[in-house]
Amino acid sequence: MEVFGQLAGGFAVALHPINMAMLFVAVVLGLVIGVLPGLGGTSGVAILLPITVFIAHGSLPGSDATTAIIFLAGIYWGALFGGVITSILFNIPGEPWAVVLLFDGFPLAKRLGKPGLALASSFVSSFLGALVSTILFTFFALPIALKALEFGPAELFAVFALSFATLIGLGAEAPMKSLAMLALGLLLAAIGFDTITGEQRLNFGQISLLSGISFVPVTIGLFGIGEILASAEEQGIGFVENISARLGLRDVLEAVRELRKRLRLVLSNAIIGFFFGVLPGHGATAASFLGYGLARQYSKNKENFGKGEISGIMGPQAAADSAGVASLVPMITLGIPGSPTSAVIMAGLFIWGLQPGPVLFIQHPDFVWGLIASIYLGHLLTFVLCLLAVPLLAMIMRVPYAIITPFIVVISIIGSYSLNNSMLDVFITVVFGVIGYWLRKMKYPLAPLVVALVLGDSTERELRKALIAGHGSPLYFFNSGLSTVLLVLAIVLVLIPLVRSIRARRRGVSPTAGAGSAAAHP
Amino acid sequence: MRPYQVATAAAIVLIAAVAMFDSRAAFNPSASTAPGDVGSRWYPFWAASIMGVASLIVAYRALTTPQAIEGVFEGSRSLFAVLKIAVPMLVYALLIGGIGFRTTDFTYRILPPFGFYLATALYMGLFAWWIGRYKIWWVAAITVAFPIVIFAVFEIGFRVSLPKSFLYTSGLLPF
Repeated sequence: MEVFGQLAGGFAVALHPINMAMLFVAVVLGLVIGVLPGLGGTSGVAILLPITVFIAHGSLPGSDATTAIIFLAGIYWGALFGGVITSILFNIPGEPWAVVLLFDGFPLAKRLGKPGLALASSFVSSFLGALVSTILFTFFALPIALKALEFGPAELFAVFALSFATLIGLGAEAPMKSLAMLALGLLLAAIGFDTITGEQRLNFGQISLLSGISFVPVTIGLFGIGEILASAEEQGIGFVENISARLGLRDVLEAVRELRKRLRLVLSNAIIGFFFGVLPGHGATAASFLGYGLARQYSKNKENFGKGEISGIMGPQAAADSAGVASLVPMITLGIPGSPTSAVIMAGLFIWGLQPGPVLFIQHPDFVWGLIASIYLGHLLTFVLCLLAVPLLAMIMRVPYAIITPFIVVISIIGSYSLNNSMLDVFITVVFGVIGYWLRKMKYPLAPLVVALVLGDSTERELRKALIAGHGSPLYFFNSGLSTVLLVLAIVLVLIPLVRSIRARRRGVSPTAGAGSAAAHP
Repeated sequence: MRPYQVATAAAIVLIAAVAMFDSRAAFNPSASTAPGDVGSRWYPFWAASIMGVASLIVAYRALTTPQAIEGVFEGSRSLFAVLKIAVPMLVYALLIGGIGFRTTDFTYRILPPFGFYLATALYMGLFAWWIGRYKIWWVAAITVAFPIVIFAVFEIGFRVSLPKSFLYTSGLLPF
């Protein structure tokens, strides 16, 4: 098997001392970001993105772009694990994907008095879920990439269209709101020079807008500042319950015993989480709710759910971590981010001078396989750190609100300024922070906006290249079997919400009570 | 909830209308384009029109389907909680860069740029004093310590140059 040789090479890269050191730093940062409410994985990765520019250009001895991606991805792994700690101990989700842990994680810790078991259950299932997903990643990545190398503009556009369609058709929020956000992202991406004709557009005479609106300040605003404002309103912070956060070996052994009883659930949720995570826009958060629903659906004692059932922790955790890892698969193989966080990592690739997509496997195999190997190592490291450092991490919650909130604003502003040394970017961050807060409140999804913003330019380029190749005829898209199939699939996906709302109206139910609200309140 | 939903959708429709107006050349692509190409305005025009139509449907839905009665904020307290964060943040961003405008031969300054470090000191200090209600020496310690640590990490460690104040340009301060 060629894969094993490549993976071994990847491990050789990932085990390089500088890469291991940066992985360690990243995982610790990720855990801290995960624990802090009001600072999410997406904004955490976006804020630290400017630093990776220095890492990628070799400011540290021996560092290169591989170190940079290992660093960014490591933050994500840490955040995936860390977000649950506050959910379980303090009933405050540190990350959106940890919300589901409030249903059973907190009751098990508080009411049944087993915080150690609740944490250990979450960690072992997260680890197993991520491991399954990484193994699938290892074997699926190369075949997908090799197939994608044959894609022309028509196929590439069809893939983009399909990923936009999944955002609309399978999104949790109202499909028209997803569509509006998607179009807004495409529009924002179009600002500045047109890549094909070189004409300027949508800049309203402003020279500063000629190079377009940068992705990173927008994301830091939407996610970082937006979350700060949202959590200020909830006023949840500042109130910390006093639960002992000790995690003993006994808890871990008990969690492993409980895991063995639920091995089928955890493994199947991990596999479902993987395929769910590969779909664009559906990262760990959606998968965690799906995983909870599945765990309850197939449980023999449904009445225990909501009271501290371990399946209600393990099910969603396995799916969430698996989906988190899987969201990197389409990013690396096709250049399509599977989640807002992987959209930020993809923006990083562009900034380091790499083109995400199948060519990476040919031109930079060290980069790709180093990343894959680091996913194995990163999760092992995160798992061990979680078992050892929970009390320390829980202490972060005691940092007062009056310090942590302005501090997050300060580092957000450093992050958005330092990428281009631009004060305009700082204002973009602040303005988009307010916009992001408001959109969240009005229940507009942000994932389509972010994914469309990062994919907008390439979507337009491939669309117009295909039209040029077809001498202006849209029939060109149906010349190849693959693009035909993908486009038909995209149309079907977009029609799903329409069909659903017509059927709901026939039954006399409000069409807005679609799949999303059902998934959000299992 | 209804007026807010409709107003949000209307704002998006307005953005769409502006973008469509800017892209009105979509219907007569310039001669410089390649044969078969739709031109540079075509794509933003249709993206904007999709956005506009989608928001019109959102507004229509908000008007015709039952909406939650209560307003967007749960009482004035939660509105103030948001404003307490949002307003100082805006002021902080303005302080860093200063306020002014430029004509072709002169730059008018209403507020001189305080630079990143002075603005951060004021901003962190304000929160410690106003929200945290700390004793005055704690406020002073936070005001001094955070900018220094950030200077050490970013300016020296990562060699990221953050905006400097008007006192730096006149040589009075190292930041």
